[in-house]
Amino acid sequence: MKKWLAFGTLAMALLASSAAAKDVVVGVSWSNFQEERWKTDEAAIKAELAKTGDKYISADAQSSNEKQISDVESLITKGATVLIILAQDSEAILPAVAKAKAQNIKVIAYDRLIEDPWAFYISFDNKEVGRLQAKMIFNVVKKGNFAFIKGSPTDPNANLLFEGQMEVLASAMKSGAIKNVGEQYTEGWKPETAQRNMEQILTANNNKITAVVASNDGTAGGAVAALAAVGLAGKVPVSGQDADKAALNRIAKGQQTGTVWKDSRTLGMEAAKIAVQLGNGLMVDKIPGSKVFNGGPKKVAVTGMLLKPVVITKKNLDVILKANWATKAEVCAGVSGTKVPAACK
Amino acid sequence: MQKTTPSSNPNSGNLFSRLQLDGRLIFMVLTIAIIWVIFNVLSEGIFLSVQNLWNLSVQTASVGVMVSAMVLVIVMRHVDLSIGSILGFTGMVMAVVNARVFPPDAAWNAWATLAVGLILGGLIGAFQGAWVAYLSVPAFIVTLGGLLIYRGGAWLVTEGQTVGSLTNSFQVFGGGVGGSIGAIPTWIIGAILLAYVLVNDVSNYLKRQRNNLPNRPMWVQIIVTGLLVLLIFGFIQIMNGYKEPQTEVSRGMPVPVLIMLLTSALMIWVVRSTRFGRYIFAYGGNPEAARLAGINTKLLTTVVFAIMGVLAGLAGAIQTARLGAGTNSTGTLAELSVIAAAVIGGTSLSGGVGSIPGAFLGALLMSSLISGLVLLGYNSAWQQVVQGLVLMIAVLLDVLYNRNRPR
Amino acid sequence: MQPLVEMRDISKSFGGVRSLDGVSIDLQPGEVVGLLGHNGAGKSTLIKVLSGAYSADSGQIFLEGKEVKITSPRSSQQHGIETIYQNLALADNLDVAANIFLGREILKNGSLNEDQMEIEAKKVLDRLKVNIPNLKLPVYNFSGGQRQCIAISRAIYFKARVLIMDEPTAALGPQETAQVNELIRNLKAEGVGIFLISHDMHDVFNLCDRVTVMKNGKVVGSCKTKDVTEDEVLEMIIAGKKPRVLRDQA
Repeated sequence: MKKWLAFGTLAMALLASSAAAKDVVVGVSWSNFQEERWKTDEAAIKAELAKTGDKYISADAQSSNEKQISDVESLITKGATVLIILAQDSEAILPAVAKAKAQNIKVIAYDRLIEDPWAFYISFDNKEVGRLQAKMIFNVVKKGNFAFIKGSPTDPNANLLFEGQMEVLASAMKSGAIKNVGEQYTEGWKPETAQRNMEQILTANNNKITAVVASNDGTAGGAVAALAAVGLAGKVPVSGQDADKAALNRIAKGQQTGTVWKDSRTLGMEAAKIAVQLGNGLMVDKIPGSKVFNGGPKKVAVTGMLLKPVVITKKNLDVILKANWATKAEVCAGVSGTKVPAACK
Repeated sequence: MQKTTPSSNPNSGNLFSRLQLDGRLIFMVLTIAIIWVIFNVLSEGIFLSVQNLWNLSVQTASVGVMVSAMVLVIVMRHVDLSIGSILGFTGMVMAVVNARVFPPDAAWNAWATLAVGLILGGLIGAFQGAWVAYLSVPAFIVTLGGLLIYRGGAWLVTEGQTVGSLTNSFQVFGGGVGGSIGAIPTWIIGAILLAYVLVNDVSNYLKRQRNNLPNRPMWVQIIVTGLLVLLIFGFIQIMNGYKEPQTEVSRGMPVPVLIMLLTSALMIWVVRSTRFGRYIFAYGGNPEAARLAGINTKLLTTVVFAIMGVLAGLAGAIQTARLGAGTNSTGTLAELSVIAAAVIGGTSLSGGVGSIPGAFLGALLMSSLISGLVLLGYNSAWQQVVQGLVLMIAVLLDVLYNRNRPR
Repeated sequence: MQPLVEMRDISKSFGGVRSLDGVSIDLQPGEVVGLLGHNGAGKSTLIKVLSGAYSADSGQIFLEGKEVKITSPRSSQQHGIETIYQNLALADNLDVAANIFLGREILKNGSLNEDQMEIEAKKVLDRLKVNIPNLKLPVYNFSGGQRQCIAISRAIYFKARVLIMDEPTAALGPQETAQVNELIRNLKAEGVGIFLISHDMHDVFNLCDRVTVMKNGKVVGSCKTKDVTEDEVLEMIIAGKKPRVLRDQA
């Protein structure tokens, strides 16, 4: 009997000490760490957690839905008190979220929506990205034959982007000023596929293309290569997204109109901040700056935060340089002639 | 002209063998012709426009370059699943070397870059071939490993970053601006081709007659030669019919297409006229017989995989130059297109049978389908469905044909 | 008389199993020697050593009294030893000429001289009175007998001094068998020495001057066919018992 009492006291003491330290362990489940950009996100999350002295653990699902589920389980086992999940598939991840909820572990849906009110959604506003892409083109040309190089058909963001683009251009299209003369998905966001599709659109329209709304910088690169082959590179405005170094260089050279920059460092930092708040017991709807969002395919109301992306064109390339996103050498490589952008001077 | 490569005819009819014609090739040419006409009608004349055919030739180049080596690999009862990844990896390395290592202004940069890619591809291929030949690991496994290794390698070269700003001299290999050889060289190449076809066909015919060997009927030979001449003429007209932007200057043949033609010609010569090519087919027909005939079959296997690697590197140069940038996803799933083209072209997965002209037509058939479907605005899902069906039908024809074949 | 071929004390093991255990055999010019024995007695291994497909662990090979080293199929061919394998060793997908010249193609300026090979192939087939209508067809189009004749003509074209035939008629019908047997007699008359592996006792007595019987990787004995009966040979094969002639010698 005495023994049991001693054990109980010990256990209580242990519990008390861990509660007092309020250590937040953030478990991050990446969908596919092979992609370039997530490294930047990870660094930002780690940096922010280091500031508050909290712990970072992670797992990479390598594009597998099944692996992501077991990743989440093992992160919980390893002692994660908050989860940040970059979902490989917004549906398939739901059981894992339910499991976390059962153990009262808060979840942040990172960059990709998870339609479960338990998960706090943080992302850049993809529809807004689409709007910005269309706007940057519309600012240059207000009418003519528009081609749309869309993203991967398997990525829900591709459709959000396209919807955003259409919102901006809808009235001009209705009036007939702008004509949609070709739209193609780009399997796997592959630049070479975008190039081939752009070539076919050019052929089908006898090269009479006024503008290209490309959904990211990779596909924009393919489209610019196709335009170059018929001597139209630099003459036809092309949009983009991601602020790829190659794309920034194209912007400096005047071959691409602009790109939408979603600084993933901001995203990572904000997510880490929210994770710490959630880990310390704050409920999702009490997070400062949060809003209810129900724009997902199933219209489930979730609490979240949508960050504003930034448009980068030739005029404000210096923003990128100041933020140390890319170096001047990378952005301005091979730029010469009369129309050198200010940032490269 | 195209009879000596061992190959099979789907319409096995005695007619074709009596006339010494390759029924499968004729069947494929007809199929492509029908597809072209259908697309042309549906697209209201755009499909057969000069611009589209010119583009189609460039779009076929990368697969067309690789497929000839894939035929050899499959004839030897192996398969190479890694070529898409080798393409991506060598392409990425070439992009880095071209843009960041070699001085961009140096005249030798483009050629040295290309050499780096070809040597790298060859080494990778030889390495995999040695695993297959000397360590007896099945090619399926070795190259499946390679598929993962070199795709990962392509990412690791720059940690996934796109490498842009390739030199103009290198972009020539991709057929973009300044990537065509112009009207007069195109005519010269055409003239060489025409002369070769005429001299070769006539002299072969006469020699066989002189030696009392069986020959095709004269009229068949005249028709075959005549069609080839027409084909070459048409091809040159298309290449020269496409003008530089906003000018009336003919572009002529794009460099990647020239590369594809040279590669195919070389490979066809190797298969038909060298011991090496003969041994590949002998091995495919009966590996034991080849070994007992004193052929060094292990070295043979290694060299064939090395050639496959070199051509994957060459395709990597074309793709990367064409895009004007190295990206780590370049060439993803290219192995499937290449294997499909080879199989559609009559290469039998059980080994020993295959023809490079057939595989080349297979590649043209596949790229025509994709090109036409995109032109008509069908999305990628439909392109995949159609490609899959065509592949299955092509193999079905082979199975039906082989069922009637004496064994 | 000096033997054309003499194999002395040949041994060969595969992973601990002794397939050949000190085997010695010989062959005179113009002689047909039947190699007999059960499956696994070591006949095939022995001829593969002679044809260069395997290399022996120990032992010597003499050709016309001179010791030779046979390290590969190619070196065996260079010594005038040609082998016709049980499994035919033809590449079914290649045409007749390509098969006859496989590994030893006629070249012209570094590339294959197809026409010359076709002419030569026709010549040798005519000499053997083999009727094959179209030499440009892959050999899978032909009957077993025709294919066997193609395999034999390959050996003959390259002027074999020693011919090894592993079950040359096993897959053939009676008429085709007669055709091949006729061919063997012709070659014998030309002074070619032949090792014949066969299970058909009738053929063996019909064609062979001598039989050498093997059992469990060893030679049971070797004797002239005219000195023994079929029953005695069968006893050698089954029981490893020497026939009266050999017992008398001892």
